[in-house]
Amino acid sequence: MTWNALIYFAAGALLLWGAGAALAMKYNTKTLPAVMTTAGLIVFFFFIAALWHSLERPPLRTMGETRLWYSFFLPVAGLLTYLRWNYRWILSFTTLLSAVFIVVNIVQPDIHDKVLMPALQSPWFAPHVIIYMFSYAILGAATLIAIYYLVREKQLNNKTGILQTTDNLVYAGIACITLGMLMGAIWAKEAWGHYWSWDPKETWAAATWIGYLLYIHYRLKKNSSDKTAMILLLIAFLLLQICWYGVNYLPSAQQSIHTYTS
Amino acid sequence: MAHSSRKIWKQPWGYTEGYLAGTGICLSGCILQLSAGNIEPALYAFPVNSIMGALFVTGLLSVHLLAGMKRIVRWLSGVYATTPALVVLLSLSVILGLIPQFPQGTANEPRLSTFFTSLGWYQMTTSWPFVLISFYTLAILGLTILRRTAQKQQWRDIGFYLNHFGLFIAFLGGILGSADMERHTMTVREGAVEWRSDHSPGEIKELPLAIQLDSFLIEAYPPKLVIIQNETGKMLPASRPDSYLFEGVAKTTQLAGCTVEIIDYLAHAAVFRDSAFTNVVPMLMEGAAEAIKVKVSKPGLSQPVEGWVSNGSYLFPHIVLQIDEANSVAMPQQEVRKYTSYVTVYTKGGTTRQAVIGVNKPLSVDDWMIYQYSYDDSKGKYADTSVFELVRDPWLKVVYTGFFMLLAGALFLFITGPKKRLS
Repeated sequence: MTWNALIYFAAGALLLWGAGAALAMKYNTKTLPAVMTTAGLIVFFFFIAALWHSLERPPLRTMGETRLWYSFFLPVAGLLTYLRWNYRWILSFTTLLSAVFIVVNIVQPDIHDKVLMPALQSPWFAPHVIIYMFSYAILGAATLIAIYYLVREKQLNNKTGILQTTDNLVYAGIACITLGMLMGAIWAKEAWGHYWSWDPKETWAAATWIGYLLYIHYRLKKNSSDKTAMILLLIAFLLLQICWYGVNYLPSAQQSIHTYTS
Repeated sequence: MAHSSRKIWKQPWGYTEGYLAGTGICLSGCILQLSAGNIEPALYAFPVNSIMGALFVTGLLSVHLLAGMKRIVRWLSGVYATTPALVVLLSLSVILGLIPQFPQGTANEPRLSTFFTSLGWYQMTTSWPFVLISFYTLAILGLTILRRTAQKQQWRDIGFYLNHFGLFIAFLGGILGSADMERHTMTVREGAVEWRSDHSPGEIKELPLAIQLDSFLIEAYPPKLVIIQNETGKMLPASRPDSYLFEGVAKTTQLAGCTVEIIDYLAHAAVFRDSAFTNVVPMLMEGAAEAIKVKVSKPGLSQPVEGWVSNGSYLFPHIVLQIDEANSVAMPQQEVRKYTSYVTVYTKGGTTRQAVIGVNKPLSVDDWMIYQYSYDDSKGKYADTSVFELVRDPWLKVVYTGFFMLLAGALFLFITGPKKRLS
């Protein structure tokens, strides 16, 4: 399976996800939207698995490959949020955001070859990146809810419920970020000799982590402003974007050993 | 922010005082930085760091025991102090993430903006503001943990302790331990024994370990073929270069608009070339190159072009096959799949150990870890000189204790989620 086949699988998956999102908006039963979304996930994961097989290495090395996982995990996070907290609109948003990343991958494909540099040949590679991509998707869902809140603040009647949902998502997300970060640290000790070197990627990972810690601690006070909390979520997500790919465009990036484009 | 008409510094304190304290500490750090310059970690090496750590923890304990109920301590162990401290720490981290960092002692520090240099922004992690705000955050963290111990314990507190105490241990251990960390590189040729680290000329550091490099092996990925532009040497298509990873003879592939057929392959070849003539023959010897014979056709080409392509070696030149005026087939340098050192390590204590060291496969001997750092690539895949990094970090166990508590804490957080609110 080559990267060129992505467009067909992506089209199939997006159709199913779109149908799931539309059904969720229209009907009250959750079964059909869940079945549709899951079917889309299976189609999309089949592509990832086939790509993995043909590259003979985990497809997690290039930015495009991480976007691929992100596109996959977004509907997962959306589906969990929908099933657990019953937000009918979340599936439309996660599908849309997933589509954006798929389009980027189709319009601007990376070079995907079998090469896996020695530093990446480690059992930590797949769990470290996959758990990060999963947390990014969960926190992406939290961000979508924050935007929804900020745009419609005046019309909303269940603000407490919305904030409880973002709390839940952020706790799950930061738990995964912490796991990903510590796995990365233990791996770095094995590969580079030190668990923390303040490599630009690590610095931004720490900044992202502090960003979400700020949200969590700010929310502990009962008199905290809901709006400020939602704005904190946007700032933290911005830090996350810099950590994920923005860091490559910063002046500090010239020193990063965290770059793996061949 | 404080909502009441309460004056600043009047109890009970809120966010305003938190931000004033945080920025105040940061500014004090700046003044120290401007007057005293960067922190020299070596000055804090054992036993200074251990004493400092013990004093710090004792200080926190005494504050908690003697003044735990005082308003200021309660404030310091709460959200009103924590959040601003995190905001200041985050701001410095953002600067650290934006500005390139130059380790101390390196000559290539930027000369342009001397203001950044005086503020220590090019060596943020050893600058006074960064270290002071880290200790301030740690103090808040420590007091918060101590305050929680005085409350009625619930099962949920397991998560609190794992996360907060784990972070405290890892953070404090990491800062203090950085002064004791030793890192050296060592270059060893095949067959030789080395016990001195690579240092600037005239300065030799003898290590308590000696490494004998029995053999050094490089495994490369199969060769690749690409189409290049004759004039510039750039790979085509320029927007997203196409390449073909060799998979065996008699295969055909499409590359940048050309049809390339693999006719023959030599894993060990000698390449002879002068201005008029190129000859490629099999030759089993060190320094032999890999070569692929291809037949290329392209729309507009009257007949296919056939010939050898090779990326050469330190003995033989590389050869490209010219297709027409504009393009050629070329073989770029192969990418390295793996490099491994077979070593015998001797310690001062008299033990001898044979081992294999590779990337992601360090060797642990006494309290040292030996890493495969790099190699001398002037001979390409026939490299015979390996570079190791030797690292000693006596505080690693402390930091890892914190890490494992945090790992457990993260799992706890993932499963239990946030505290249910009553409202």
